[in-house]
Amino acid sequence: MPLDTSTYSLALLRVDGRRWNELRRLHAQIRIQAAADGSSYLEMGNTKVMCVLTGPSEPQQQQQGQRRGQATAGGGKDAAINVSIVVAGFASVDHKKRGRNDKRTQELELIIAKTFASVAHTHLFPHSSISLALHVLSADGSLLAALLNAATLALIDAGIPMSDYIAACTAGSTSSYAAADDSADPLLDLNTQEEQELPFITVATLGETDRVAVLNCESRVQVSRLEGMLAVAVDGCKEVKQLLDKAIKAKGAKMIREGAAEKSDAMAMDLDE
Amino acid sequence: MATTHTLLSPAELNYLHTSLSLRPPIRSDGRLPTQFRPLTAETGILQGTNGSACVTFSDGAEAIVGVKAEIEKTPDAQQSGDADEKKARGDWVEISVEIPSQRDDDAATVFLGEMLREALLGDGEFAKKLWINRRFHWRLHIDILLLSPPLSYPLPLLSLTTHLALLATRLPKLKSEGDEDPMFDDDWESSVFVYPREGASEGTRPPITLLVVTVGDNVIFDPTKEELAVAETALAVSVAEVRRERPRGGMEVDSKGRELKLLSIRTIDPPSRLTPPGVPNGTATTATEGKPAPSNLSSETPVAGVWKAPLGGTKFTVVDGIIQAVLEKGGVADEVLDGLDGVELA
Amino acid sequence: MADRRRINGPGGTTLPPLYDDDPLPLPTRLRLPNAVRSVYLKTGVTPSASGSAYLEVESRNGAPTTGMKLSCTVHGPRSLPRSAPFSPHMVLTTHVKYAPFATKSRRGYLRDASERDLSTHLETALRGVLIADRWPKSGVDVVVTIIEGEEARQFAVDQGSEEWDMMNVLSACITVAAAAVADAGIDCVDTVSGGVAALVSLSDDGKSEIVLDPVATEHEEILAACCVAYLPNRDEITNLWLKGEVSSTDPGLYRNLIARAVYASKGTSQAIVGSLNEAVTGV
Repeated sequence: MPLDTSTYSLALLRVDGRRWNELRRLHAQIRIQAAADGSSYLEMGNTKVMCVLTGPSEPQQQQQGQRRGQATAGGGKDAAINVSIVVAGFASVDHKKRGRNDKRTQELELIIAKTFASVAHTHLFPHSSISLALHVLSADGSLLAALLNAATLALIDAGIPMSDYIAACTAGSTSSYAAADDSADPLLDLNTQEEQELPFITVATLGETDRVAVLNCESRVQVSRLEGMLAVAVDGCKEVKQLLDKAIKAKGAKMIREGAAEKSDAMAMDLDE
Repeated sequence: MATTHTLLSPAELNYLHTSLSLRPPIRSDGRLPTQFRPLTAETGILQGTNGSACVTFSDGAEAIVGVKAEIEKTPDAQQSGDADEKKARGDWVEISVEIPSQRDDDAATVFLGEMLREALLGDGEFAKKLWINRRFHWRLHIDILLLSPPLSYPLPLLSLTTHLALLATRLPKLKSEGDEDPMFDDDWESSVFVYPREGASEGTRPPITLLVVTVGDNVIFDPTKEELAVAETALAVSVAEVRRERPRGGMEVDSKGRELKLLSIRTIDPPSRLTPPGVPNGTATTATEGKPAPSNLSSETPVAGVWKAPLGGTKFTVVDGIIQAVLEKGGVADEVLDGLDGVELA
Repeated sequence: MADRRRINGPGGTTLPPLYDDDPLPLPTRLRLPNAVRSVYLKTGVTPSASGSAYLEVESRNGAPTTGMKLSCTVHGPRSLPRSAPFSPHMVLTTHVKYAPFATKSRRGYLRDASERDLSTHLETALRGVLIADRWPKSGVDVVVTIIEGEEARQFAVDQGSEEWDMMNVLSACITVAAAAVADAGIDCVDTVSGGVAALVSLSDDGKSEIVLDPVATEHEEILAACCVAYLPNRDEITNLWLKGEVSSTDPGLYRNLIARAVYASKGTSQAIVGSLNEAVTGV
């Protein structure tokens, strides 16, 4: 379904009613699963992903990891980060089964593994492995960004030291390659429909700084547009970082409140006021 | 079953085995032999599916199931026959199981998927629900995702989640008639449940698969990983509820429980066969003294208090006992179905 | 998440080709309900393997195809690779594979879901039999190749009866693997053998009866079937696979079904004993 760009230039509203610099609703949760070392659930609009983290633990056999086709980064003296993404068959509108050896999924796995190997202080856990299992429950654009954000949250939940958050989002441009119109606007946080029509980039920054950790562009875009897109995306990442931070602080405050109550009846009575 | 590898010493295994063979057995989490782990269930969690469910066990094991339906042309459409006859095929249902850190074509995962599939299609009633007309049918994709790291054998969890997801599955209402190209009602509100709410016909409830093990003479339901590690037999038994038209006006109060029918049984290879054996006191010294003959024999004869991995199969009476316990009226299967009936369907 | 870098094939399904109906008449069962097809079993057919066996099942009357043919090779016990973790037992791996030409529709070289499913069943059946703690730190591979399948005809596919044939295949796999394991000289508690029984509906009146060693195309409809791996001397079952609709009104029915399957396996176990005796005495 082609995106009617003419309506955008009239009202400056996108298909889902957003302005050019608006994020979709971002909802984040951490510690959703008792059995995991760290876990998170993230919604960016209709993109819903879940991350379950195990580790740092004794590494699984090296060959086994290789055979499974998981993306691994680090290893040896540093902790290895294994990422496996499972895209549920029901994630998109049409049912599509993606195997473990799907090239597209492997590419995403590798990007995520490499990013976190550089940000997390893996040298603190030598000869161990950190496994991230990412489940895509619903995919509606900005998938890589959502996966990166969910992985950040799970790593924080598991208490693995990192130099900063990895906050990610996408930015696109209303101009197509052929149209050399100067009035093209950059757009923030694209959904599937926009992703299919417009050139876009995925950017992840290190916290609220301007330091870019991931920059991924798979579509043809005019060089002159890139700067504007990048600026919008970096601003978006800062916004995302604040939202992630808020979710973690909210959970932390809740745990202190509840944790204090739990402590008193689990331990001795002298803690009781 | 690499997922259920336990790191228990022979002494621990023996302790577990002894306490589970007592009458009544003492389980490490204090449950009764027929008691299930408490669970939290939710349905209709994914908007993009025809039906979905999420179940979390108290130990943190969590699974999500999404059901998606697509229309497909039936290949042998030109076949003549009377229109009422619904020729349905089992391969209209596709089940895929995803277990983290395991390949999707791993033999154990395939085994799990096949087990759930054969229970679902066991009575041939389910495939008929997907029949639209002689030219078209629904293709149902059931995607089962285990979200948590595999703690124990995930079969009961996956089966219960699938059961709920299928109960919540709705298909659009058919507007067209006969063998013309199907047209459906756009209104999701008027969609029909695959398993009708109020129904008295047969096959109105999806099956459930229970994992049952025996230790000593005891039959234990819903075993944990540790219990599975000392089990002598493990069986996966699938049952479904039979709902029949009850005579009206009789007001027969349903106190005896529901009628269950058996759909499938599969033996699961119990991981206890792979556990390390204990060494009885004294055999280590006799072996060094150069008497090879008795050392071979002594490894065969079990010594009380020393763990030994079970050998051989299961007696028919034990198998029979398990099936009896599952099919028992007002038994575990009933209890589980009651619990699942209580889940609100979104 | 559209893939922008690679060109992938279409995501949708395609329809398989349609064939004309087979002109052959439907086979009917001429055996008695409690009769099993005779089998030919020979051990030691593959010299390079440490143990091997070949099994052939009698062809149906008047059928153009010959019966099922399977071969099994056992490799090992041999030491595990260095990288493998310590195991106090022998590590058993089973592979069941249809030859590409074994059935009417060609089977690929990669194992598909039903083959993996069969190998898991076979593993369960054999694991209970082997005295595995006599070979710590070693592994044994059991490879069963189905050279010719049971149902090669389109009719079976149309009827959806091929899933019932899986049970016959499994039963044959168990029998041939047991003979090959014995031929390899691996210590077992007993020789396991497979047997199948099925509940079939009789066409004339709505009644049903239990038959041994069913061939799906010979019957109007199979309601339920059961395959067991049975140890005759210990009177134990190592693998039980039952599926189908077992009526709830008669609770003794499933018991009967299992008992009949056990009875069928006793017949095949004689074949194993016979062929092993023959191999030992050379007669």
